[in-house]
Amino acid sequence: MDQSSSPAIETVGLTKRFGERTALDGIDLQVPRGVAFGFLGPNGAGKTTIIRTLLGLTPASAGTMHVLGYPVPAERSQALQRVGAIVEEPRFHMHLTGRENLRIVSAVRGGETLERIDPALARVGLSERAGEKVKSYSMGMRQRLGVARCLLADPLLLILDEPTNGLDPAGIQEFREMIRAMVEQEGRTVFISSHLLDEVEKTCDAAAIVDRGKIVTQGAIAELAAGGGARHELILGVDDADRALGVLDASGLVDDARPSDEGIRVVLAGDPRTAAQVNAALVQAGVGVTRLEPVRHSLEQRFLQITQRLDADLVPEEVRA
Amino acid sequence: MNPTIAIRMVGADFLKLRKKRSTLIWALVLAVAPLLIFFVVKAIQHSSNPAEHSPAGGTGGYADALRVLTLFFGPLAAIMIGTDGGAGDLAAGVFRDLVVTGRSRVALFAARVPAALGLCWLVVLAGYALTLIGTYALASGTTTPGGALVVNGLLFTLFATGIVCVVAVGFSSLVGSRPAALTVLIGWQLIASRILENIESLGSSRKLILSQAIAHFSPVNVSDGHGPRGGATVTMSTGTAVIVSLGWIVVLLALGAWRTRTMDA
Repeated sequence: MDQSSSPAIETVGLTKRFGERTALDGIDLQVPRGVAFGFLGPNGAGKTTIIRTLLGLTPASAGTMHVLGYPVPAERSQALQRVGAIVEEPRFHMHLTGRENLRIVSAVRGGETLERIDPALARVGLSERAGEKVKSYSMGMRQRLGVARCLLADPLLLILDEPTNGLDPAGIQEFREMIRAMVEQEGRTVFISSHLLDEVEKTCDAAAIVDRGKIVTQGAIAELAAGGGARHELILGVDDADRALGVLDASGLVDDARPSDEGIRVVLAGDPRTAAQVNAALVQAGVGVTRLEPVRHSLEQRFLQITQRLDADLVPEEVRA
Repeated sequence: MNPTIAIRMVGADFLKLRKKRSTLIWALVLAVAPLLIFFVVKAIQHSSNPAEHSPAGGTGGYADALRVLTLFFGPLAAIMIGTDGGAGDLAAGVFRDLVVTGRSRVALFAARVPAALGLCWLVVLAGYALTLIGTYALASGTTTPGGALVVNGLLFTLFATGIVCVVAVGFSSLVGSRPAALTVLIGWQLIASRILENIESLGSSRKLILSQAIAHFSPVNVSDGHGPRGGATVTMSTGTAVIVSLGWIVVLLALGAWRTRTMDA
């Protein structure tokens, strides 16, 4: 396999059992290169387990994994050479300075990593505090030092487990900008596990939603939020709703149109540019259009829909009846 | 893995241990303070009643001090450092961060051994230096050890504490908890082995006690003066002593490496 063109992460049927409990249940995941990819799910869904399995911290029970094109665990050493990871919270030797902690990882990684220590510290804004013991660092600084540790590998893939945990709003914003810069300016792939929908929506290009050890859905953020296929919806405000509904039905421009509290909710048959044609059709038919607003789907709505549906599926038939 | 990386990994592990002030200070206290107390008390006793008490230094003082260093407090210092070396990464929670570099877990384990050994030897060398200072400075005209005995004593000090340190690295890597490893090893070293070696009904199985095998190589009589060669309570051949010493090292290192390789990080 050509490693450079392969997905950053690819798993097929990945399964992890702890005794009787199945933590990962046949996970098929594909993370393309050069994107920020969110791995979204409630606490206990299996997010950290998949990360630990991918990194060889715990063995898989079944299935296959490839990281940067290399099969894991068979070629784990090669695979992880250009991978940086923070699993759960970043941990350090508290009695050592930030720079000394990086020196330790650099010694283990080998190669040119020693020369990358100062640039990595500068990249995360810790140059001035690098000589202080880590025990004096705030949570945000430790998080940044964790990223600096990842950067020693000059990573093609960064795996970050709940990276904004414990950060204040300013820290979260700063972290988000750093991730976007790594993806957009440096071409790295960033895999972020999170239970924070807002975080994934704002930071990531694509995501997978995981629940109870299974991937429920995956794709681009907009597609996920829209519910799988790319549904484009509008809210229309009109002076004559009945007439407008008739015009819309006859126009062939919409898949669905129905009255709602806010006006008429329309699902466009085509792409977002169809909205202009809808407007023109209504105006030509003499319907006054007072509002035309695209519906912005949130990942949160979609996530809640999915997890609530799963909850409902788990309720026995007789109870639901 | 190339030698440069191996050396850098050992250096990194040495850095972790050297900078851990609490471990280093306690190890130094264990290696030095009892000897200091020993020489001071003996010197006071000798000066107050020279007829009753022999000089603190000289060949007799050297033998006593070497016993204190190699069979009691030196091994305790070695246990302090060895257990920290074996379980330090796990205790700090950074073991998984080292594993995700892709480096082999066995290599991570292997780097701990020379690092701990290096620091252990630096610490016990301070104790041995004090032994020599007391031996010569407080000889009061009695015979002093010759060059060969000084060198043999040094080698024995490094041997006795080195074996215990390596065993401690292996055991704490196996257990995965420094406090647990520390408790078990100190209990074994100070209490259990002393009891077992004096239960004569155990017969030749007492040869398996590490401190007895180590004592066999002592250049001076390190027991209370009534034991056979080297001062061990249990008589054994040099070959048996070598096999028992190597056995402890090989078994504990193998178990430590196995646990490091197979554990969930």
